[in-house]
Amino acid sequence: MRYLLLLLAFVLSACETQQPANAPALRVDQVLGAEPAAGFARAFAPRSFRFPEDHGAHRDYATEWWYLTGNLQTASGRHFGYQFTLFRVALRPGEALQDSAWRTQQIYMGHMAISDIAAARHYSAERFARAAAGLAGARVTPFAVWLGPWSMRAGSELFPLTVAAQHEDIGLALQLQSGDKPLVLQGERGLSRKSATPGNASYYYSFTRLPTRGELRIGDTVYTVQGNSWMDREWSSSALDSDQAGWDWFSLQLDDGRDLMYYQLRTRQGEAHAFSRGSLVGTDGAVRTLLPDQVTLTPLHHWQAEDGARYPTRWRLQVAELQLDLEVQALLDDQLMDHSVRYWEGAVEVSGSHHGSGYLELSGYAGHSPSL
Amino acid sequence: MLRHRWQGLLALSGIALGVAVVLAVDLANSGARAAFELSAQQLQGKATHRLAVPGASLPDEVYVSLKRTPGAPPMAPVVNGWVRVEGGTVRYQLVGFDLFAEAPFRSQLAGVATDAGFIGDWLTQAGSLLLGAATARALDVAAGDRLDIVYRGRPATLNVLRIDEQQSRVTADLLLVDIASAQSILDMHGHLSYVDLILDAAGEAWVRQRIPAGVQLQTVAAQAQGVKRLSAAFELNLTAMSLLAMLVGMFLIFNAMTFSMVQRRNLFGRLRTLGVTPAELFSLILLEAAIVAVLGTLLGLSLGVWLGRGLTRLVAATVSELYYNVSVTALHLDWTALIIAAGVGVVATLLATVVPAWRAARTPPLTTLSRAALEQAVHRGIYLWALPGLLLLAAGLLLALALPGGVLMSFAGLFALVLGAAMMTPLVIRIVHRLLAHAGLPGIWRMGVRDLDRHLSRLGIAVAALMVALSASVGVGLMVESMRASVNTWLGDLLCADLYVAAQGFDAGATLPADVVQDVLRLESVAALSRYRERMLPLAGRRVELIGAHLSAPSRRGFALLSGTASAWKDFAAGAVLVSEPLAYHLGLAPGSTLMLPTPAGPQAVQVAAVFRDYASEHGRLFMDEAVYRNYWPDQQVDSLALFARNGDVESMRREVSELAARTAIVLTPAAAILEESMAVFDRTFRVTEVLRAVLLLVAFIGVLSALMALQLERAREYAVLRALGLTRGQIAGLISGESLLMGLLAGCVAIPTGMLMAWVLIQSVQRRAFGWTMPFSVDGPLLLQTLLVGLLAAGLAAVYPAWRSAQRHPAPQLRED
Repeated sequence: MRYLLLLLAFVLSACETQQPANAPALRVDQVLGAEPAAGFARAFAPRSFRFPEDHGAHRDYATEWWYLTGNLQTASGRHFGYQFTLFRVALRPGEALQDSAWRTQQIYMGHMAISDIAAARHYSAERFARAAAGLAGARVTPFAVWLGPWSMRAGSELFPLTVAAQHEDIGLALQLQSGDKPLVLQGERGLSRKSATPGNASYYYSFTRLPTRGELRIGDTVYTVQGNSWMDREWSSSALDSDQAGWDWFSLQLDDGRDLMYYQLRTRQGEAHAFSRGSLVGTDGAVRTLLPDQVTLTPLHHWQAEDGARYPTRWRLQVAELQLDLEVQALLDDQLMDHSVRYWEGAVEVSGSHHGSGYLELSGYAGHSPSL
Repeated sequence: MLRHRWQGLLALSGIALGVAVVLAVDLANSGARAAFELSAQQLQGKATHRLAVPGASLPDEVYVSLKRTPGAPPMAPVVNGWVRVEGGTVRYQLVGFDLFAEAPFRSQLAGVATDAGFIGDWLTQAGSLLLGAATARALDVAAGDRLDIVYRGRPATLNVLRIDEQQSRVTADLLLVDIASAQSILDMHGHLSYVDLILDAAGEAWVRQRIPAGVQLQTVAAQAQGVKRLSAAFELNLTAMSLLAMLVGMFLIFNAMTFSMVQRRNLFGRLRTLGVTPAELFSLILLEAAIVAVLGTLLGLSLGVWLGRGLTRLVAATVSELYYNVSVTALHLDWTALIIAAGVGVVATLLATVVPAWRAARTPPLTTLSRAALEQAVHRGIYLWALPGLLLLAAGLLLALALPGGVLMSFAGLFALVLGAAMMTPLVIRIVHRLLAHAGLPGIWRMGVRDLDRHLSRLGIAVAALMVALSASVGVGLMVESMRASVNTWLGDLLCADLYVAAQGFDAGATLPADVVQDVLRLESVAALSRYRERMLPLAGRRVELIGAHLSAPSRRGFALLSGTASAWKDFAAGAVLVSEPLAYHLGLAPGSTLMLPTPAGPQAVQVAAVFRDYASEHGRLFMDEAVYRNYWPDQQVDSLALFARNGDVESMRREVSELAARTAIVLTPAAAILEESMAVFDRTFRVTEVLRAVLLLVAFIGVLSALMALQLERAREYAVLRALGLTRGQIAGLISGESLLMGLLAGCVAIPTGMLMAWVLIQSVQRRAFGWTMPFSVDGPLLLQTLLVGLLAAGLAAVYPAWRSAQRHPAPQLRED
């Protein structure tokens, strides 16, 4: 998922808290169109994952992330969505100069968001730090990924995982349990190919249903919440192919206990790219791959952002052979992440043949003029 | 007025010159001051507080651990230091910052990174440099160029990554690099200079609870005071020059206006005879004066702006060499300076007019025409002026020397003193005239002397104006010379070792490799050595230099102890400190007093062993025994060594130490070279003073020259009569020249004692109160002689044209004219 997005961190104007109002919106395809610098490791073939080592950073690859999303509720049923992501970006391949403890080739970017569905408000924040002098980094045992005061921490195992992130008007203090679902290797034994070009692939694994409890803060109000989270781990040195414009990514937790992930890579003509992929994780943890010719995705409703970009926030997702006919509806239209990289990421509810909840990510729409 | 075109021009140019000199000096000063303050504040951004370790740097961990604590307020780390560009003399501030922490503080800095390549190159390449557009032009570099710099004698290379075209104040004059590059270049591994914070009351409490002992949280306002003090010495120079410019300007105007009034007594008399009432005449004269005042002032303001532009550049250049680079891109049009200059122009003109106008209006028509009656009144006036002059002079001395007060009081006293002396000048002329009249001079000379006395009304103020300019020049010149002599003696005593060893250059405490210190100790040829370790210590709002020193016996003899008991050195070894004279003066310290020092282990009380003469820092210096110093600051480093050769064999020692120098990065400097370099710095500091002094003198010169010239031209008819009476051309020319030279000589003679008094006040009062140091007053003969010559030259030049013209002309047409 979130395949590549992040190379963008290069481009960022360097803000820790807020994007300057006049910063140019970035188009994902433009930024990612270029080949990554030579010298980075590439994902050519499936690898044998080793844990807990692979929960830590893979500094030879250009980008990497620890990606959490989830739907949480208070005891009284108030619904919140959250996203908490720490991205690692290698600015240059190879080892840094040794002239100062502050010198590094690697930086971290953090995104945090809370969707307060009842109040129809979406809050988000962004942070950066260099992976040096202890300001940001990742460690295998005891597990930790941190960016200033934002962190995911655990012991010798990845779970229970403690999430701590406070920003001006929002904050997260959550604990994630491993639950019943196993680690899922996406794609071909964890190798997720994004195009026909060799090396345009990532290593990608997920934890699709993580029982979560803890506290959410909005302003001075703290909500005690529980629910389920989804974690994606992915690293690569990929670029978008020239015919790819962006992607629509779904992570859905169905009430019957099954979890569905599907990303549709879009061509410049707006059609599904042949390398779109998905997986359905059964209640027993068995994984079934989904190919584009098995899945029908139809946008039902668009929300138009201030910059004119139109985001499809209601979808019909059909997998005929699995008798899935789902309507995926954003719980809030405006869940735009308007930071150094502009994309839409938000909580959704699932209805139709099955019910459930999940997260939807839409990228590659910013900067495209509406087709009307 | 039109009939007297010389007078008209004289009045206008006198006012214009007076206003111009006041404005130009003021503009230059306020321009440099503003540039300096802006530079000091430019990095402050939106920060409210600053975190630092007094006198030392802040460990990285303090910042990182705060930064990683949930609830941390906005914080931005800074690593800075002063460097020189290879081959240049201007000092630049090298500032290392963290791009990712800057947005809340200096959004312009954070905002420069807008494209893909920039952050990558900026963070990963050593020495990537960001420059403001103006600074890049000044350094003559473009993006992609390399810039070689020197930090404490060690070279480093920067690569211009980007030129910031935004022209923001934040980037101007700074060499901006990533914090990693700054740590490496400034040799501050693992340390920060300070951390900026944005805090409210709750945030302040949050931070205070979490900082380790020794780390200080200060408001930016408190911190800025320390920076401002840096420029105090320089500012004082500038203020003194502004005040003197005002005095000279006022006298130029007085001179021009009085002259114009006196010259037209006949005209006023005629008008009275024709039936113009006193009230009418009074208003007429005042109206005319007002018009002239406004015209002259306007002319002066534009002239002042033009002159000020050049001076500002000059002053800024000096600031750049002494402190750090400031660029004065545009003239700083300071409204206060404009208003003061215009005020001086208008008020001085009207003041100079009111009394003569009133007198002209009041006198009956017939006497108005009588020259003798007027001169009589003027002669009575001599005493009327002289007595208050004497009182003013005495009051000035009292104010500056006897009464307690600050620097402003000293300046007020100085002002009163010069004004008083100027008011007494006509009396001096009268006395000299009396003396000369009885000296049995040859006929033509007697005539000149008598003439001078007769024209006292016209000439008195011209001589006084020249006197004020000359005495200001003498006063400031003598002060600078006295100081130079004192500094020279002091340095000569202090630099008594044969050889000084430092890590690359002597200019500030770079540390010596530990093995070098050990190796030098073992050298056969070294009889004794002293070790020094320096650090800055904020003390009562001053940036005091603390030196932890192991002083050998000969080094101790280099200290000029001003007060202190015989046991001073024993006390020193036992933990008492030596304080410099400025520090003792400002903090009221004497041997035996106790001083609280902020150390990493918290405040420590130390005893004062003695006070020593010192001009190294106006903020003050403190010497502490090395062993005591290391108790408080547990670092083992040494900045420099002073070596004394065994049996005076400097050459052998030099050879041995040179061998060490060949394999490590150290620099050997003989005392003489340091002395020479220090005196060069001294001279640079006062170069501006010298130039401003010259400008004042030049303006006064032009003013007096035009006055004298006008006077002599007005007297053309008188000379024609003399010619008709049988005087030769040569005699006429001689008469005119003699008179003029006598005036110049008189001005010079009065200027010398007045200037010496000024110098006395500047040294004993102004310097003492501003910097806290004292110095012996030394009289510089050549300077006094030079003053006399300048006076004579001004007067002599003024006589050239009138003498030539009067001598050339045939008397008949002149006589017929009337």
